[in-house]
Amino acid sequence: MELSTMTSMLAEGYVVSMQIFAITLVGSIPLGALVAVGRLSKVRPLSWLTSLYISVMRGTPLMLQMFAVFFVPFYVFGRQTPPSYMFVAVIIAFVINYAAYFAEIFRSGIQSMPRGQYEAAQVLGYTSRQTFFRIVLPQVIKKILPAMGNEVVTLVKDTSLAFSIGLAEMFTTSRALVASQRTMVPFMIAALIYWLTCLLIELLLGRLEKKLDYYHD
Amino acid sequence: MTNSHLRPIPTPEVSFASATGLPAVYLRGARKSFGQNEILRGVDLTISKGEVLSLLGPSGAGKSTILRCLATLDKFDGGELAYGSLRVCTNDPQGKAVYDREAMYKARMKFGIVFQDYNLFPHFSVMRNVTDAPICVQGRDPEEVEEQARGILRKLGLAERADMVPCQLSGGQQQRVAIARALCMNPNVLFFDEATSALDPKLTEEMLKIIRDLAGEGMAIGIVTHEVGFARDASDRIAVMLDGEIAEVGKPKDVLGSPRDERVAAFLSHSME
Repeated sequence: MELSTMTSMLAEGYVVSMQIFAITLVGSIPLGALVAVGRLSKVRPLSWLTSLYISVMRGTPLMLQMFAVFFVPFYVFGRQTPPSYMFVAVIIAFVINYAAYFAEIFRSGIQSMPRGQYEAAQVLGYTSRQTFFRIVLPQVIKKILPAMGNEVVTLVKDTSLAFSIGLAEMFTTSRALVASQRTMVPFMIAALIYWLTCLLIELLLGRLEKKLDYYHD
Repeated sequence: MTNSHLRPIPTPEVSFASATGLPAVYLRGARKSFGQNEILRGVDLTISKGEVLSLLGPSGAGKSTILRCLATLDKFDGGELAYGSLRVCTNDPQGKAVYDREAMYKARMKFGIVFQDYNLFPHFSVMRNVTDAPICVQGRDPEEVEEQARGILRKLGLAERADMVPCQLSGGQQQRVAIARALCMNPNVLFFDEATSALDPKLTEEMLKIIRDLAGEGMAIGIVTHEVGFARDASDRIAVMLDGEIAEVGKPKDVLGSPRDERVAAFLSHSME
C-alpha cells in the first residue's frame, strides 16, 4: 500500500479523534464548572454527591467507564443500539470523566483566591455575580491554565482509548493498518500526528499564558 | 438611654446627617463573641465629620474585629450601628443585633476601607482598580469617573502609574491606590486597617499628610493601629481598646499624656519604649 493511501486513511481517523477531542472539551468544561459549584456548595448533600461523583470518575479507568456507557443500554435495558451509538458512548464517557478532572481544577483555582479579594469586592458593593465574573474568574483562569493544559494534552492522547470499543478513530485505523500491511509505519505516522497536535496545543497555551503574564499577585 | 434621637429619622439622605449633626459613624453597645470567647464587650464609638479617630490597642484587643464589623464584613452580635442617618443595625428587645440588609448595602457606598494588605485587584490596572466599582456598582458615567480618578491619582502622586498593574508598584504606592479606590466611591467615611505598618518613616509622614488633608475636606476617618506615635500625630481623638472595651477615649495629649486608666498607662508605656 502506498504511503499516501495509509496517510489519508489515518487522516480520516484523525478527524474522528479530533471530533472526540473537541466535543469532549466543549461538553466537559461547562459540566466541570457545574460540578465544581456543587462541590463548593454549602448544601451538604450536594457537595457530598459531587465529591462522590468526582471520586468515582477519577478512581475508575476511563476505558471501563466507556464500556459501561456502551453496554448499559443492552445489558440493563435490553435494547439493541445502532452503530452510531458507539460514538455517542465514547463522547458521554469522555465528557463525564473529564468533567470530574476539570471540576477539581476549577475548585482548587477558586479556593486559591485570597479572602481579601472577596472582602474588597464586598465593601465596594459588587454583587456576588459581579465579584465572580469581574474579580474572581479572570484570576482563576490564569491560575488554572497550566493544569488545564495538562488535561487538554492528555485528552488528545486519551482519544485513542476509543479503540477499545472499536470506534474508527486514528489509533484504531493505525492498528488495523499495522496488522494488514505488516509494517510499523502507520504507528509511526500516528505517533507523529498525535505529537504535532499536542505541540500545537502547547504553543497556543503558551501564548495565552504569556498574554496573561502581564500581572502576578 | 434609649437613643431616642435616632428613632424618628426617616430614610437616608446624604447631606441630612451632616446638617443635623449626626456623627458620620455611630456605634453603641457593640458586642461580639466567637464561641465562648467574648471579643467585644459593649463598645461605644463615634466619628464626626472631618474627624480622625484612632483606635489604639494591643493585638487581640478586638480592634480588627470592630473594624471588620464596621465595614460589614462581619456582624455584631448586639449593638447599634449607623452611618449618618443610615441605620445599619439596631437591637431587638433581647439586645440582639438586627441588621437591615438594604441599609447594609447602602452603607457600603458611604464608607471606604483601606485594608492592611490593600487587597487591590491584581489583574486590573491602577486606573481600573479605581474606576471599576464606581462604574459597574454605582452605575456612574465612565468618563466622569475616569476624570475624577485622574484627579485623585494626581493628588496622591500616582498620575504616572495609572496604566500599571499593582504588582509593578511599591507597597506605599499600592496603599495609595487602595486609598484612591476607596475615594473614587465618594464616601464620607474612610477606614484604615493598620495604616502605617508597612511604611518607612518618610512614607508614614506622607500618609499623615494625606489623612489630615482628607479630614480637612470633611472626611470622617477611623484608623486602627498599634503605633502610638502615628495615632498621636494623625488623630483628633484616640480611643484605647483593651480586652474588648474602650478603656479610654479623648484628645491625644490627654490620653497619651495623662491616662486615667492604669491599664492604658501600662499599655502606653509598653508601646512607647
